[in-house]
Amino acid sequence: MSEGIKKKISDALDLPQDIVLNVPRVIVTGKIATFIENHKGIIEYNSELVKINTSIGVICVRGEDLHIKTIISDEITVEGKISAIEFEE
Amino acid sequence: MLFIKLWNYLSGYVIIKIVGEYGERLLNQAALENLYLWDIKRQNGNVLSCKVSVKNFAKLASLARKTRCRVYIIERVGLFFVILKLRKRKWFLFGALLFIAAVYFMSSFIWSIEIVCPDDELTISVDEALRSWGIKEGIFKYGLDKEYYIDKLLNEYGGLAWAQMEIRGSRLIIELVKKELPPELEENIPCDIIASKDGIIEEIIALRGEALVEPGQTVSEGDVLITGKIMLGHEPDGEEEGSDTLFVHAEGIVRARVWYQKAVKVPLVKTKKVPTGNSKKSLILHFQNHILNLHLGDISYTLYDKRVLKEVNILPKLGGGLKLNIVEYIEMEAQKEYLGVENASIEAEAQLLSDLEHLSKENKIIQRKMEYVLDSDEQAVIGSMIIELVEDIGKKQKIEYGEEKL
Repeated sequence: MSEGIKKKISDALDLPQDIVLNVPRVIVTGKIATFIENHKGIIEYNSELVKINTSIGVICVRGEDLHIKTIISDEITVEGKISAIEFEE
Repeated sequence: MLFIKLWNYLSGYVIIKIVGEYGERLLNQAALENLYLWDIKRQNGNVLSCKVSVKNFAKLASLARKTRCRVYIIERVGLFFVILKLRKRKWFLFGALLFIAAVYFMSSFIWSIEIVCPDDELTISVDEALRSWGIKEGIFKYGLDKEYYIDKLLNEYGGLAWAQMEIRGSRLIIELVKKELPPELEENIPCDIIASKDGIIEEIIALRGEALVEPGQTVSEGDVLITGKIMLGHEPDGEEEGSDTLFVHAEGIVRARVWYQKAVKVPLVKTKKVPTGNSKKSLILHFQNHILNLHLGDISYTLYDKRVLKEVNILPKLGGGLKLNIVEYIEMEAQKEYLGVENASIEAEAQLLSDLEHLSKENKIIQRKMEYVLDSDEQAVIGSMIIELVEDIGKKQKIEYGEEKL
């Protein structure tokens, strides 16, 4: 099924898009934490930058004193002083 | 999250150091293998620190080999390691357990006996009695038959109304309440029976001594009804020879008609407190005898009722006595109600009846009279009730001899 049809189905049936489209779900708590669901692993990690691989490309979390609070197979929580969240294609 | 933290602490975890160029790869692998890692931090260059549970550490170590990372343990945290350490220190554990056992053992004895009684003399004598029965410091507290000793105490000491034994920790607390007896004259002391109040004698039975009054006679308070002074000249069957008068302990029943009167004034207009529906709650902190009001907001009712909703004992009385009361203030409104003469009279009678109720319980009421007077100046009804009943008016009084003898 192409992305377009999936999108239409999820719109029509009011289904959560992150599940139907298999895209990550990013929840940001203020500037102190971000929670990324449906990730595909860490590419790079240091205290200024966390690169996380997802189905739509790489998500970069920039900031200071970043640390990974938890990591399990499809969830990741990054804490610290977050300054930017970027999506790279 | 507290639960997870607590679980982690109980099951034990290690803080590890991951050294290697591709630390991220290890993290990904661990995530894929469902190994839970948390608090991952970059220390510097190619050193990561993170936490992992004891159970998962072995798996992580084998993964580390595959990803060409080295894993070092920095710190071991949790109860798991405490137990592990204690297993090695067997004698320390033994000592600790011995200590707990010793405390428990020592606390199963009674180390102090406290007798709570306002009467010092009784306290001392009960204390001695208990000691002679084997209740003293150092006895085993379990298996102490409290009921038995309470019964024994109550039997031994006739003057006790109530006794209680309570074991609090290693203290034995004995509470005693003395009977409040009227000062009764002893059997062998000569006495008269006198009238305790005015009345008309209905019947008189002298069990011992000589009756001085007859039925139908009016007596006033203090009159001698049955005398314990017997003139031997009049009583030929006296018990003792050789003296003119014989003093005995008079005893008998003297029943007489007596009157009680009581009056009440009931105003025609009655003010009644009616709740308005407003109420406020407040906290009152009691510390021993000090009271601290913790008002939540301002309570500015002119007329209110106070009701204690809940009492919370924070510390028991012995431990400082801290108590928190939740109090509700209910706003009241004064409402005036016009009773009328008739209703006021009814109320006056009801009040008097309840006031004099205790009299009718013990004795038979012969007659009850009710009178009402309307006090026009004060807008009130004065109701007075006279109750006539028959009761025992006899009271013992010691004969003051000395001047009487001889």
